[in-house]
Amino acid sequence: MSKRVHISPLANEGMYILDTASWRTERPVMNKEKCIECGLCLTYCPVNAIIFDENKYKITYNYCKGCGICAVECPKKAIDMVPEGGGK
Amino acid sequence: MNYIEKLRTSEDMVTPGMSACQGCCGELVLRRILQISGKNTIVCVPPGCMSGAGVVGWDYQTGMKIPVHIPLLTNTASFLSGVSQMYQRKGRGDVNMIAVAGDGATADGGFQSLSGAAERNEKMLYVCYDNEGYMNTGFQRSSTTTKGSRTSTTPIGEAINGKQQPSKYVALIMSMHALQYCATASPSHMQDMVAKVERGLAESKKGFAFIHVIAPCPTGWSFEPDMSIQIAKKAVASNMFPLWEKYNGNYYITVENKKPIPVKEFLQSMGKYKSLTDDDIAQIQKEADTKYETLKKLASE
Ligand SMILES: Cc1ncc(C[n+]2csc(CCOP(=O)(O)OP(=O)(O)O)c2C)c(N)n1
Ligand code: SF4
Ligand code: SF4
Ligand code: SF4
Ligand SMILES: [Mg+2]
Repeated sequence: MSKRVHISPLANEGMYILDTASWRTERPVMNKEKCIECGLCLTYCPVNAIIFDENKYKITYNYCKGCGICAVECPKKAIDMVPEGGGK
Repeated sequence: MNYIEKLRTSEDMVTPGMSACQGCCGELVLRRILQISGKNTIVCVPPGCMSGAGVVGWDYQTGMKIPVHIPLLTNTASFLSGVSQMYQRKGRGDVNMIAVAGDGATADGGFQSLSGAAERNEKMLYVCYDNEGYMNTGFQRSSTTTKGSRTSTTPIGEAINGKQQPSKYVALIMSMHALQYCATASPSHMQDMVAKVERGLAESKKGFAFIHVIAPCPTGWSFEPDMSIQIAKKAVASNMFPLWEKYNGNYYITVENKKPIPVKEFLQSMGKYKSLTDDDIAQIQKEADTKYETLKKLASE
């Protein structure tokens, strides 16, 4: 997300939706072969980066901070935290 | 609809990119509460991590999709009392009136306005997210900070070894008011938390509802961000943070803890307790046991 979206003007400079994806050092990757579509990862994601789309849970990366909670809480260990390496 | 279906279909009311730290339970709690309450809501977020992280603003634009007020650290409940009263007078008692406030804004500076609003049974849902300190200003101690915890105003050193006093149990104190609804909740027990927010909202149409939520803070408490939910789970499992509610004058333990884990397991999972002595741990264990016994007695009456 490179475009800065103006949400909350404070003084002249303003406050913007933060590019929290740029904080990530690791990216959560879902292994659909192990996933049982239980939804626990979605309930615990503080950022709401996990969505339910076409009857499947999916991770989105626009705001995911890479905290790793989803990977720890998944009962099937279906989420791996993978180093970001060259960035997003 | 079960709680997961509710959460996956409800709209997020908070700006997507807010600057709460990785793994912050405050952010998780804020988003979940407002997902449940939906668009027909006015929210008050006093100074603290949640307002500081980007959910309040001015000049008609905010970091939320619903009206948000930033009152003072000291007057959240009285401020929202006024808003609530005016909405009722205008015939809009249907609007959800919610406060999402830190432990400092709740148990310390804001306590007299909170106690007053509860005593008057003002119609609102007041949620305290408790990270056991003034996190937004650099983790100073608060009255809910656990004894022995390292904070920036109660450091570990020769003169003192962390906070010297036990924590104030704000949920039980609040429950002693003749209020409409009172509960404790943990984001680790999401089904229980969602049910309590729903009940709290329903009761807030009749009077004052209060929910005290534990909100582990990786940055202040010193643990890895991916451990937030595990830490909250241990707080419940060790009876450091029992889950209960009070309504119609009766207490109920909502998550029974038949085989509690030793508080040591909870305490040793983070850095802020790293200098606790065996004596300190024994004392914290005793306090947790007494707390749970007291609640069990209240619930059996
Ligand atoms: C009367 C007053 N004193 C001090 C402050 C500075 N201040 C802003 S946020 C904050 C911390 C609030 O702590 P808490 O309510 O627990 O929320 P947290 O930051 O932990 O989320 C403080 C002390 C203030 N805004 N008002
Ligand atoms: S890593 Fe954290 S922010 Fe990213 S999807 Fe998982 S829980 Fe959400
Ligand atoms: S928690 Fe794990 S198993 Fe459940 S939906 Fe998420 S990835 Fe799939
Ligand atoms: S300091 Fe703690 S409470 Fe504040 S935003 Fe960071 S993790 Fe959340
Ligand atoms: Mg706090």
